Amino acid sequence: MEDKKNHDEHLERITNQLAESVLGLSDEAIIEETSEAGADPEQGAEATRLVLRQASKALDNVNKRLSNLGHTINPSYWWPGLGEYHNNCLSCGSLVSLTTATGEMQGEVFDTPCPESGQYTIRRREASRK
Amino acid sequence: MAHLLSFIDTRPQFEPPQPPEPSLPPTKSITASSKSALLVENDESLLNFLRRSLKDEGYAVRTASSSEEGLRLYRDCAPFNVVLIDYCVPQSNGVEIDYCAPQTNGIELAMAIREINPSQGIIIAAFDYRNAGEVPRPRELMHIPLLIDISKFQLRSLLEKIDVDRAIEALTSSELLRLRQFAAFRARGLGRAARGRTGEDLLAEALLGTLIGAEVTGKGRHWNKDVDFVRHLTGAMRSISSCWKRQFKEKEAYLISELFLHDAEEQEGSPLENVASGDPAADQRLIEKDEQDRVLTIFKADPEATQVLHGLLGSLKKNEIMSSYGLDEKRYAAAMKRIRVKLLGRKNGGGRGEKHGR
Repeated sequence: MEDKKNHDEHLERITNQLAESVLGLSDEAIIEETSEAGADPEQGAEATRLVLRQASKALDNVNKRLSNLGHTINPSYWWPGLGEYHNNCLSCGSLVSLTTATGEMQGEVFDTPCPESGQYTIRRREASRK
Repeated sequence: MAHLLSFIDTRPQFEPPQPPEPSLPPTKSITASSKSALLVENDESLLNFLRRSLKDEGYAVRTASSSEEGLRLYRDCAPFNVVLIDYCVPQSNGVEIDYCAPQTNGIELAMAIREINPSQGIIIAAFDYRNAGEVPRPRELMHIPLLIDISKFQLRSLLEKIDVDRAIEALTSSELLRLRQFAAFRARGLGRAARGRTGEDLLAEALLGTLIGAEVTGKGRHWNKDVDFVRHLTGAMRSISSCWKRQFKEKEAYLISELFLHDAEEQEGSPLENVASGDPAADQRLIEKDEQDRVLTIFKADPEATQVLHGLLGSLKKNEIMSSYGLDEKRYAAAMKRIRVKLLGRKNGGGRGEKHGR
């Protein structure tokens, strides 16, 4: 049984060691290696920055959509699922889910405006008319 | 504070700024800290809370309890990264600060304290200036349909996000490439446990985990600013990939017990135990064995790379591998480089850990 377990972990062990070894490379070495692997270093770097920007933007989009519908969430209350994060509106309890890979939002929270935020919504509408 | 919006509706739409009061003492500009905030609030307890929150996030905070004082600080100590204005402060109610704010290039986030909600604390209208097409005045925040409403416990998240966004933009090409390769290798090592997720998915999840915390479940990955951002993200990726693997194993264990292991006697020497088609864990082992053989085959013509791979398979440390196979530092590093380059290359499935840039 132990052998099977070890066997399972062999590939992971190699790739994890390779991942760690990348962190010790100099700036020149990592750029050189990327080129040697057949990729454009500048393009690869910017594609990586884009991944990070998109993940950050996904969260902005959730906040804006929720705000437009009058829902309020506590950003510290997200809990992780399989490739997703979930949260609830503090006022009405509706569920919101955010898919990490795609930034896609779903949940009952988007079905209707928050029924508990009526007073606030009216106030904002009045303000926006000014 | 409760009548705040009715106040805004009735006040004059626009007033030019007044010159600062000559009798007020001069104020030194904030230059020592990289982040600065101006806080204008006449409620002392609220002022203290917000000041503490901003200070905790590393901001040098200037405070004022009147609009006039706020305006003076604004003029003398600008630029500020964050401006937080209570529209109900005495003396002109922040109108002058409204007028001046857009003239400051350094401003990243303006917030107007809007009302007190008994259940949720302070409701703040916030506008992220960095993503603005047309920069509104803070006063106009009240009239923007897409404003972000945040409550007091959301303030910290919003401020943290500014730091994270800054850090993303500050990453150099080599740092980004290190993150990319690190993520690709970690994701590749997961095999079937990755469930189709790539290195980029792993990186995106590390960033989201940083931003949204999940403190309730104790799985928050908030960025401690004393730690280098690349190091933080790689740490988060280690943790997330281990979590994915664990979740996969737990799920597999559940399936096996559901399908085959009806009682303790059957567990011992079950004839189904090693049938690949019926046992998902056995399938996984076969897939990993194939992948392992394939990796070793790639380096068949490279004895030193094969030796290093065998050393890694045997959980040997760098020095142990070097002494076991008589490799010096240079030859070991060169063998590792050949392994990384070949495995990241397109022919050997390097694209599996990535979606773009290849």
